[in-house]
Amino acid sequence: MSLNSHMNVLDFTLLSLLRRKFKNLGIVLVFTFIVFITGSILFLSYSFKREALLILKGSPELIVQRMSAGRQELIPVGRAKEISAIPGVSGVEPRYWGYYYDPLVKANYTILASSGSLSAGNRLLQGRLPAPEEKGVAAVGRGVAKARFIDMGSTISLVSAAGDAMDFDVVGIFESESELLTADLIVLGRPDVIRLFRMPPDMATDLAVTVRNETEAPVIAGKIRSRFPDTRPILRKEIIRTYDAVFGWRSGLILTLFAGALVAFIILAWDKATGLSAEEKKEIGILKAIGWETSDIIEMKFWEGLVISLSSFLLGIILAYVHVYFFGASVFAPALKGWSVIYPDFRLAPFIDPYQIAMLMALTVIPYIASTIIPSWKAAITDPDEVVRG
Amino acid sequence: MNDPIIQTNELTKYYNKGKANEVLAVSGVSIGIRRGDFAVLKGPSGSGKTTMLSLLGCMTRPTSGSITLEGRDISHLPERFLTDIRRTTYGFIFQQFHLIQGMSVLQNVMLPLYPTDVDLPKLKKKAEGLLEGIGMMKRRDFPVQGLSGGEQQRTAIARALINSPEIVLADEPTAHLDTALSRNFMAIMKDLWEKGKTVIIASHDPIVFENEYAALVVEMRDGAVRNVTRK
Amino acid sequence: MRKSLVFGLFVLGCFLFLAALGATSHVRVSHFLAVSHDLGDITATLKLTDISFSDDARYTRNPSQADIFSAFQDYPGSIEHFPSGSVTPPPDFTSLGAAMKVRGQ
Repeated sequence: MSLNSHMNVLDFTLLSLLRRKFKNLGIVLVFTFIVFITGSILFLSYSFKREALLILKGSPELIVQRMSAGRQELIPVGRAKEISAIPGVSGVEPRYWGYYYDPLVKANYTILASSGSLSAGNRLLQGRLPAPEEKGVAAVGRGVAKARFIDMGSTISLVSAAGDAMDFDVVGIFESESELLTADLIVLGRPDVIRLFRMPPDMATDLAVTVRNETEAPVIAGKIRSRFPDTRPILRKEIIRTYDAVFGWRSGLILTLFAGALVAFIILAWDKATGLSAEEKKEIGILKAIGWETSDIIEMKFWEGLVISLSSFLLGIILAYVHVYFFGASVFAPALKGWSVIYPDFRLAPFIDPYQIAMLMALTVIPYIASTIIPSWKAAITDPDEVVRG
Repeated sequence: MNDPIIQTNELTKYYNKGKANEVLAVSGVSIGIRRGDFAVLKGPSGSGKTTMLSLLGCMTRPTSGSITLEGRDISHLPERFLTDIRRTTYGFIFQQFHLIQGMSVLQNVMLPLYPTDVDLPKLKKKAEGLLEGIGMMKRRDFPVQGLSGGEQQRTAIARALINSPEIVLADEPTAHLDTALSRNFMAIMKDLWEKGKTVIIASHDPIVFENEYAALVVEMRDGAVRNVTRK
Repeated sequence: MRKSLVFGLFVLGCFLFLAALGATSHVRVSHFLAVSHDLGDITATLKLTDISFSDDARYTRNPSQADIFSAFQDYPGSIEHFPSGSVTPPPDFTSLGAAMKVRGQ
């Protein structure tokens, strides 16, 4: 057969599909929706993972937390000295941080002590960070600034654990491009963090350990663990693994929410796969009787499946891309946000995994074509005289 | 001219062979139809005429016996060749017309030749020519389900002729038509016959078999041939 | 125009559009990679361990860090048990009047 005859059969198939405009349009819509949802989830979680990986590359190789009765406790700063004596450790720095619930806007902030300044030319901070020992100043994330209507030079007031109000001049605001990292941050000088949380003297939240060679980090973690049995060292590698799990869980949640649609579609495909309508059977018989070969009919059914599934796949994947990367996954936002008040208005970098897209295509287009062809094949190989006899 | 275009030899067809609902539809039929014949298979319903027509038209294979088409035994050809014969040699007009619902008259007429290498505009022109010839041109773009019985049949005739067949087969063509339309149908068939086509009609309607040009009348009953009259 | 051609053009158009999206993806990813250097600087300077992806509950803000969990964190009704705490908002107590007001309000 030549190209022209294939095009003729495709022409006929399209003509035939147009006869049942609403039914087929309905299938395309549902199919597109399924691809759109699945594609959005794939895009979203893949981009999150890749971004998290890149962003967290700079985080400490090792965090040492102290545990007491299964809960995290403040850690004595004095231990830093002993840990830095372990071979392979290049530096230990205490971290002072905690959460602050702001009842005014019902949001959680992350309060963090500054421990240095950003490198010159960092474009993601407007203004500056407080110096480690500086008092009365703060740098805030864009989310906090939005929630509290704060601008450069305004004052942010927090209530300390002792109950008195503390005012901070805002000297820095993180740019929105860094929101995925900084949205809820309030960076203060160390004395202010200690006073705000009323932390005992010589105690820190945890210790950040830098090592000379990251491959040795697990060994060093083991040594810390045996030296201080009440600690829990967290490796950067573990953190990154945690992110895989978190996005797995969140995307699983969304998938669950849309499972109803998925099931409906599977029922539809099953319905098609398990039997042809009497009308379709009759039409196949007529086509055979007037001189269509079995292979022509199978080709027609192949086109039918391809037209519907490929159109849906392409539309769905385009919509998913636009949805996730241009509209910040607005359809999923309620599920992703939970009830958080400060939520990063992120613009994800469109990292795309061609393998995932190919998988999605293989899992949607091919089964659909198969479920269109197989039942018709059975009808197409019977003698056409069954139609003639009515 | 007198060599048979179709020759059957002890043709037998069972349906559901070996099962409880086994039916012997045609048994031991041997007939010869000559090129340019106007043949009528006559008999009451259940006499096996439709099955006979299916066998002659390569719609189904005989259980035993053989069919020869232009000297070539076609009873055991693979499906692919049978389809090819249906497409190139036969034009079939079904009792129930069997048009594809939801498509226009023109599209239905073009239907048999879609999966071939034909150029669609040329095919369309040919289909329009056929519709013109049977006075259906004004109904060209009508969906077939809205047509009257006579119009549907004329569409079916045009569809049967789109591949310029040598042999035209019709199964109970007048069963759903009134007398005037039946005569009209026969006029079209006569016209085809006069143009040199071989026409085979299965019918128990006297309008069909009691006319002067029905050269061969095969009377069937209970799957067997009772009487063959050749004028 | 024949329908098969229309369909072919539709598919071609979709693929071209996808290719265009791929191109913008490339541009935006390279922009992100440029910015990610600065992001890495922030992470390193502030010694951050997590992204601010979900701070609806405290334990979801820094999933990699152990935390002091509490059943009633900020409201009597805010039961923070994973995972329901991150999808279900605390009930609205405003109808109960001033007696139930949360500290600071």
